[in-house]
Amino acid sequence: MDNAGPPDMVVRSGAEWLVSALEAEGVDTVFGYPGGAIMPVYDALVDSRLRHILVRHEQGAALAADGYARASGRIGVCMATSGPGATNLLTGIANAFMDSVPMLAITGQVSSALMGTDAFQEVDIFGMSLPVVKHSFIVRCAADVAATVHEACAIARGGRPGPVLIDLPKDVQLARGTATPSRSREDSGVQPARAVDIDAAISLLSRSARPLLYVGGGVGIARAEMALRDFVAATGVPAVCTLKGLGALDPDAPELMGMLGMHGSPAANHAVQCCDLLVALGARFDDRATGKLETFAPGARVLHIDADAAEIGKLRGADVALRGPLAQLLPILAQRSPVATEDWRAHCASLRRLYANRYDAPGDDVYAPALLHDLSRAAGPGAIVACDVGQHQMWVAQHWRINACNRHLTSGGLGTMGYGLPAALGAQLACPDARVICISGDGSIMMNLQELATARRYGIPVKIVLLDNGCLGMVRQWQELFFEERYSEVDLSDNPDFVALARAFGIAAFSINRRDEVPAAIERVLAATGPILCHVRIDPRANVWPLVPPGKSNGEMMESAA
Amino acid sequence: MKQKLLVTLLDTEGALQRLLGTAERRGFRVCAVHAEVVDSAQCHVAMTVESARDVALLARQLLRLHEVRKVCVA
Repeated sequence: MDNAGPPDMVVRSGAEWLVSALEAEGVDTVFGYPGGAIMPVYDALVDSRLRHILVRHEQGAALAADGYARASGRIGVCMATSGPGATNLLTGIANAFMDSVPMLAITGQVSSALMGTDAFQEVDIFGMSLPVVKHSFIVRCAADVAATVHEACAIARGGRPGPVLIDLPKDVQLARGTATPSRSREDSGVQPARAVDIDAAISLLSRSARPLLYVGGGVGIARAEMALRDFVAATGVPAVCTLKGLGALDPDAPELMGMLGMHGSPAANHAVQCCDLLVALGARFDDRATGKLETFAPGARVLHIDADAAEIGKLRGADVALRGPLAQLLPILAQRSPVATEDWRAHCASLRRLYANRYDAPGDDVYAPALLHDLSRAAGPGAIVACDVGQHQMWVAQHWRINACNRHLTSGGLGTMGYGLPAALGAQLACPDARVICISGDGSIMMNLQELATARRYGIPVKIVLLDNGCLGMVRQWQELFFEERYSEVDLSDNPDFVALARAFGIAAFSINRRDEVPAAIERVLAATGPILCHVRIDPRANVWPLVPPGKSNGEMMESAA
Repeated sequence: MKQKLLVTLLDTEGALQRLLGTAERRGFRVCAVHAEVVDSAQCHVAMTVESARDVALLARQLLRLHEVRKVCVA
């Protein structure tokens, strides 16, 4: 946009201020869908250097922005019109909130004079989104637009990241004015920890015979993976990861016990149950990780290290709490912590050996865990995997070699079916040189299938592996195990022909049914230069093992239906 | 158990709504509220809440809100 005159005298419309502020924030890509109440912004985009990705549903925009943000570490931006456009963003905003993803969501709103009159396509998106945003704004005059964008981006990125919403009435988009100066930004970073707390943490570590790291998604958010790896290398303390913590440690690290929790590895859960000190790092004692909370790590003291004070003691009290930036704290702790005892390390190593994954399941059907194991290795350490929600999500967590937190895009907190495909598109646009693979299920992919059109339009070369068991597998599994096989509304055996469907969108596609077809299928998927869908028929009766039954202790894992 | 909180927050659009909503969503019934804008920028809120949960947990959740400046458990 041309600037005529000194900066403080430039006159622009609110829409133009929005676009120029986004550019100034370094935003290069916006995911969105136009409509009546945001038309001035779309008009301003015509003259902008922002790349707008036209999705086919606003939820796809929010989830693609989420994938973009997770993969790149930059803020993800999505926009939609008022009313249904705004409400369609909400699931994606909630998804980003639950997983602490930096996102800016921009919604058009009816003109100020019409707000509160039940006008056409009016909803109170500010009010509706309050529980699922880090912060939100309604901008009341054009002069405030740029300052609001800068403040919103700072909030979204700062401290524990999260989504921020800006609701922009249409008259404000159209009105012209100079910009008010940006508001002073308070330091929203993480305050350093107190020396007395560090001393207490060291004391706990020094007195522990069986310390265990419980690694959560906060490690990746804090970009503390290398600090964590150095800490583990220096101390030899074994570690378990949450779903979102996977990738914080090298998958080959001898100290890594795997994922804990409901579908975690028995080695990880047993280690938690017998440790005497649990060091929670950027983890929040989520129920999927802890099982029955009262029986979680029953003999352990807790050292809780987190950037967010509100997580300390929220569910499990901490013997010592250390609030501060993990990337700075871990090197300090590494220098002063003792090396874990040989007995404890040997015990954990024996658990790992005892419960190592096996891929020798009998039969000729495609065995999904083995496929994912082989695909992961063939794809290489730099590949980004985005998955949907359900059985396949847990198989990815169990069997994919996850090398970095930002290469595993999964809807951890909200559990949003339909996340995988748009998140993969966002990740591929953020990381054009990366190999991005979407693992989906036949239930999940139908929730945002329309985004195949987005992949086609922009030639986004995501590789989609669709594990089709003809049912809602995770729900079916629970009905089998915990509802006396009373199957209710889980049958998807009348699924469409996914290969024909993908081709109708202009996406290359093929199908496999047998285990001996897997190697060639992996080769074909990885060799494709454009988007491709590999439809894999799997056994509808396949279950995810192991499993901690709902309400049970992690020490009571089921390893089969028998 | 009822407990009283004194909260200082910026007087921005939606601030009170966000404060009360956070309390309720985090499992605290709001029994009484007195809110007063003391100058052009700040609002003082005295709030009585009831919950089986520790009110210190709520105080920490409230401090995460962008417009909240201070929380005291009375």
